[in-house]
Amino acid sequence: MDTLIRIQNLSYAYSYSPPAIQQINLEIKKGEKIALVGSNGAGKSTLLLTLNGMIKPDKGQIFFHGKPVTYDRTSLRTIRQKVGFVFQDPDVQIIAPTVWQDVAFGPVNLDYSDEKVNEVVQNALRNVGLEGFERRPPYHLSGGEKKRVAIAGVLAMDPDILILDEPTSMLDPAGSEDIMDLLDELNHQGKTIIISTHDVELAYPWANRIILMEKGRIIASGTPDEAFSDKELVRRARLKTPILLELCQELINRGIKSPMTFPRTALDIIRIIENEHHGSIRLFDEGYGTIHVGDVDQLSGVQVTEILAETICDTVGVMGSKAKICARQWGITPDISYAVIDKCILQAMNGRTSAILTTGGMAVRVFERVTMFNQTNNRSIPVRSLTDTSNSKPEAD
Amino acid sequence: MFFHDFLEEAAQKNALLTINPYTKLILGLGSIVLVLFSPNFIVPLILVITFSVITVLLAKINLKFYLKLLCVPGSFAVLSVLAIILISGGKEELWSYDLLSIFPLSITIESLQKGLLVFFRVIGGMCALFFISLTTPMTDLFGVMKKFKIPELFIDLSMIIYRFIFIFMGKAHQVHHAQLMRLGYSKPKEAIHSFSMLFGSIFITSWDAGEHFINAMDCRCYNGKFAKMVQYNPVEKKSLSLVLIYLIGIIILIIMTTNYNL
Repeated sequence: MDTLIRIQNLSYAYSYSPPAIQQINLEIKKGEKIALVGSNGAGKSTLLLTLNGMIKPDKGQIFFHGKPVTYDRTSLRTIRQKVGFVFQDPDVQIIAPTVWQDVAFGPVNLDYSDEKVNEVVQNALRNVGLEGFERRPPYHLSGGEKKRVAIAGVLAMDPDILILDEPTSMLDPAGSEDIMDLLDELNHQGKTIIISTHDVELAYPWANRIILMEKGRIIASGTPDEAFSDKELVRRARLKTPILLELCQELINRGIKSPMTFPRTALDIIRIIENEHHGSIRLFDEGYGTIHVGDVDQLSGVQVTEILAETICDTVGVMGSKAKICARQWGITPDISYAVIDKCILQAMNGRTSAILTTGGMAVRVFERVTMFNQTNNRSIPVRSLTDTSNSKPEAD
Repeated sequence: MFFHDFLEEAAQKNALLTINPYTKLILGLGSIVLVLFSPNFIVPLILVITFSVITVLLAKINLKFYLKLLCVPGSFAVLSVLAIILISGGKEELWSYDLLSIFPLSITIESLQKGLLVFFRVIGGMCALFFISLTTPMTDLFGVMKKFKIPELFIDLSMIIYRFIFIFMGKAHQVHHAQLMRLGYSKPKEAIHSFSMLFGSIFITSWDAGEHFINAMDCRCYNGKFAKMVQYNPVEKKSLSLVLIYLIGIIILIIMTTNYNL
């Protein structure tokens, strides 16, 4: 993987204060999902602000694409375009009187032509699921919608890296899940994403790298289970062990065979227990439930409603911003809108039928994920596409 | 205490929001100009009635809210018109009174006519102005300003001010609540103290907000430009022609009523 940002021996202190960050060494690779975890005042925000040149470090150097970052006007512009920063408080970030104007702020200042501005703003708004909000003034939006506007404003500048400072701190749980799902979607589109948070339950299943910070220093950096397994580190960073990890450790203490990888989701835990149990804990006579996958690009609202009525799905999951908009328009209330695939597999293992509504690229991901799950676990959960119901052949064995 | 976003909120939700702003501006501004040309109170009175009907029935603005709004210029108008009627003189005296024998007050036909004209001109003009502000949100007007080649600096500044008004009002609201909850306004002396504290904290907030604002703009490569939205729904022939017919009708009425006297 390409290294996007390399940080060497970085230190910075706000005036009249002890150092906010010191001796930071870090490498950020393309396509990573990094969560910077630490208590309040651990230096997360300061570290993030150095990444796009908002703070000039006292000591040390930052390399962007292998070249050292300089702090003159033109190079700052380049780095700020390539490293998008979303502030914790969207009220601070939203500067224009309408959603459209705010999202267009960056592109206009990058001297795009009028047509291009229009195009990128439309794309950004579609990406975050805010089509049709163009003329709305931001003070009329909900917290989650404001956050989306802030993200769209940064996306419109087409950054390689997206930095979000405490993306879910001001949102309700459902809103947080929506934003995390959106971040997954953006990561899937090729953006590198860095978030800071002190919500371990949020960071643990989402990130593929966790960086623990304490008093301005990085004390651990690694996969989520590595970072959170060391109880001493977690205590020093003033955090707590994620409940899934704790559960797994307690199971191991009680003699259940230690798994190859630590569990990240409820599905993983169930698998560990089932392995110990030598087979399914309980399987209905009908066998596994089917997972139906519908592509909202190829289906109309009426069709979907009809199909859902016919197939009698126990759960309906919606994945991705576009599918969520469609579902809202068609009056379908999704039961799941986050970590949809895993939850549907769980349902299927329990003999229940489910349907996932999503868009083209992600529909393929559903098939891949379920097929992989079937292969590694010797299962045969059937996945069917709703789009070609005519031949209705099972896609996975 | 803080009725901050009432006007703007109403404007954002009015039923005529989708009508092209130019059509609405022609109607509103045209009527304001015509009100000034009207020789007596009849045309302004008709404007008051028609604009109130348009605002309440077509734009679906809450009647109670609209009347409350009209009370503001209304109370001013009543007071000043009373003075005009009592002080300005004329030939046909209807009523007179010598106040303290040095200050004669009288009502004449002429003064009554002048008073009515001023009163309905004020209210008519305000109705037209309220029509504009209740049907055309500020955000639409920024685009219109750009079309009319008003300096960018001025538009950018007004956009920033517009955005900040809501931030400050929100902040003032929060601080005011926090003070109320701790009985900040229970005694007169306490109230004065709390009020000064409120403004102190708003000052600090505005300073802070300015700093954040610069940061937020720098983060997105600010280079002296603000995006402006200049696209609107196209001018509808039907609504535009209705507006023009209305204005022409008013002009004809003005000509017809020139010689009318009370």
